[in-house]
Amino acid sequence: MPIKSINGCIGCEECIKSCPTDVLRLNPDSKKAEILYPEDCQICHLCRMYCPVDAIVITPDKSIPVIVSWG
Amino acid sequence: MKTKHRKISRRKFITLTGGAAGFAAMGGFAMQVDWALNNPEINAETLENNRITTDVLVVGSGMAGLFAAVKAHDAGAQVLMVSKGRLGSSGQTPFAKGIFAYDKDNEALSIDEFVAKVSRSALGTNNKAYTRQLAEHSLARVNELREWGFFESSLYNKSFSKPIEERNIPVHERVTITHLVKEDDRIIGVAGFSIDEQKVLFYEAKSVILCTGAGGFKPNGFPICDLTHDGTVMAYNIGAKVTGKEWNDGHPAKSENPAACYDGWGDMFEQKPSTTRIEIRHDLGVDMNYMAYINGGAAQMGPPGRGNQSNGVSGGPYRPEEFTSQGGPGGHSQDGEEIQGPPPGDSDRKRPLRKEGKVAPPGMGGSVVGGSTAGMSIHKAEGLVPINDKCESTIPGLYAAGDALGSYMAGGIYTQIGSSLSGSAVQGAIAGETAANYSKTVKSKNISTKKLKSIEEDILAPLKREAGYSPAWVTQTLQSIMIPNFVLYIKKENLMKAALAYVEELRDHHVPHLRASNLHELRLAHETKNMVISAEMKLRASLMRTESRCSHFRLDYPEVDNENWQAWINIFKGEDGSMTLEKQPFNTWASTTKSSEIEANS
Repeated sequence: MPIKSINGCIGCEECIKSCPTDVLRLNPDSKKAEILYPEDCQICHLCRMYCPVDAIVITPDKSIPVIVSWG
Repeated sequence: MKTKHRKISRRKFITLTGGAAGFAAMGGFAMQVDWALNNPEINAETLENNRITTDVLVVGSGMAGLFAAVKAHDAGAQVLMVSKGRLGSSGQTPFAKGIFAYDKDNEALSIDEFVAKVSRSALGTNNKAYTRQLAEHSLARVNELREWGFFESSLYNKSFSKPIEERNIPVHERVTITHLVKEDDRIIGVAGFSIDEQKVLFYEAKSVILCTGAGGFKPNGFPICDLTHDGTVMAYNIGAKVTGKEWNDGHPAKSENPAACYDGWGDMFEQKPSTTRIEIRHDLGVDMNYMAYINGGAAQMGPPGRGNQSNGVSGGPYRPEEFTSQGGPGGHSQDGEEIQGPPPGDSDRKRPLRKEGKVAPPGMGGSVVGGSTAGMSIHKAEGLVPINDKCESTIPGLYAAGDALGSYMAGGIYTQIGSSLSGSAVQGAIAGETAANYSKTVKSKNISTKKLKSIEEDILAPLKREAGYSPAWVTQTLQSIMIPNFVLYIKKENLMKAALAYVEELRDHHVPHLRASNLHELRLAHETKNMVISAEMKLRASLMRTESRCSHFRLDYPEVDNENWQAWINIFKGEDGSMTLEKQPFNTWASTTKSSEIEANS
């Protein structure tokens, strides 16, 4: 999975707002960010860079083999 | 059965078959219904409908949008900015780190010499008026950015917010615009929806500036998955002319984890931006793809930028003699030194090549895969056709700036390092001021209730479908048609025609049945629709251009054809609604009536 986990979220929503592809949303109950649409993560790390408490872990792999031009 | 499954809702079907037992008993039928069923998480019938009015509406919040909003405000207009993402954190702007500033006191080349050299590299494909404008205005824009704190952080939201907040310009973020509204032959507003609040939004505006960026097919390996040519396709849908679809960006990615664009660029995304000076190149990218194609695979991609002699491969894209000693977008320099590819939005080679103790960025070292930007043209080469150097489109009141404008500032090839980001700033400012002045000459118009209803229906249709195709699958199918190397990188008539047949299939029989269960998926559905139209444009333009030039390479027409092809290709809706293409000679302005000559040195 590209964006893997969020640990220690303070609910500031910086990651949610800064994600260009709408991968993250605020959980209405816990008031913390959750990974709702990981398949749309483009692994750009903006969420991690905007996070003020370094809560986000991202790995470089996609959960499904990706279509590329050459291979 | 096909007709039937679209009409049966899950609730009705479970009733019909007696719940789970029925599913088991009628396994085959159940599967056919189930794969396509829409399970809406929200009720499309209860979405609110809001109208908002302004003088100038700026769509998009990257570098072009920032300057469009600021300068329209400063020219006395009431401005509102609407963005699919967040100010300074969506589109390609957040990842572009080099910005060109022409300082006449510190450059050896005059502006005339600069324009002439860019034009030689671009093989005539550039619009000299926009090339000149870049040089003339870039330093002023860069100085403004400096005042706002742009160069002090790798993240741009804070510095972009400064001038916007100082001017109290409202910004509506996370709103997907899907429609432009035209009446009496001029723009009167736009429509879209929020992905957070259950609202359909209608913006009534005297003028609209599209700063919507370029796009691709949600390609793996480049951070443009939120860019799906929305502006271009919306404008095309209301009759605007668009251009530049045959050119191809040639950025590569690593073969290992090719989708990881952050990792692909090393730590470049974390660097603060910096300025670049004159360095004019002829960055192909397609030559690397050509070598790989001839040699048979990504491992053979080899260093780009060595003209026609690399790896014993002959032929391939033409590179003018004057520019043979340079690398492609990323790769090895002539002496074999590894260099990084440029970031989206610029080609800055001045940033650090690698950091101590860090894994090297991909460059061309080891195995790389071409086509990481699949579906994207050259910056500033695709988008709305301008009718003058004021970013005005063929639709009165509608402007575009940055990658949404087919200004051909650099031509169908990367020429000046770092010009993409400053070009967006320069054009945004000009579009903002022009749109503000235009808005003083017209009265605002209400979108009629009838039009409002029909647009609302169109926006919400995927949510209301009881069954259909998932946007993710249609997108993936489109990717598998368009991304393989033999379609847009190494172009041949028969394969492009084959791809076109598939794309027409998606357009006619799949797009009309896209489903969405929530607002996230609704956005994907509309993005998918736009990508399919853009794919059709790319194929038709590439088929029409029976030559090779700059970043467009045809294996069946490998030579530059100056006799027939000193022309851009414009695309528009013909009278019967079908996609129509026309040639517009280089160095002329498009017009709805007749073209006129571009003043190259004014």
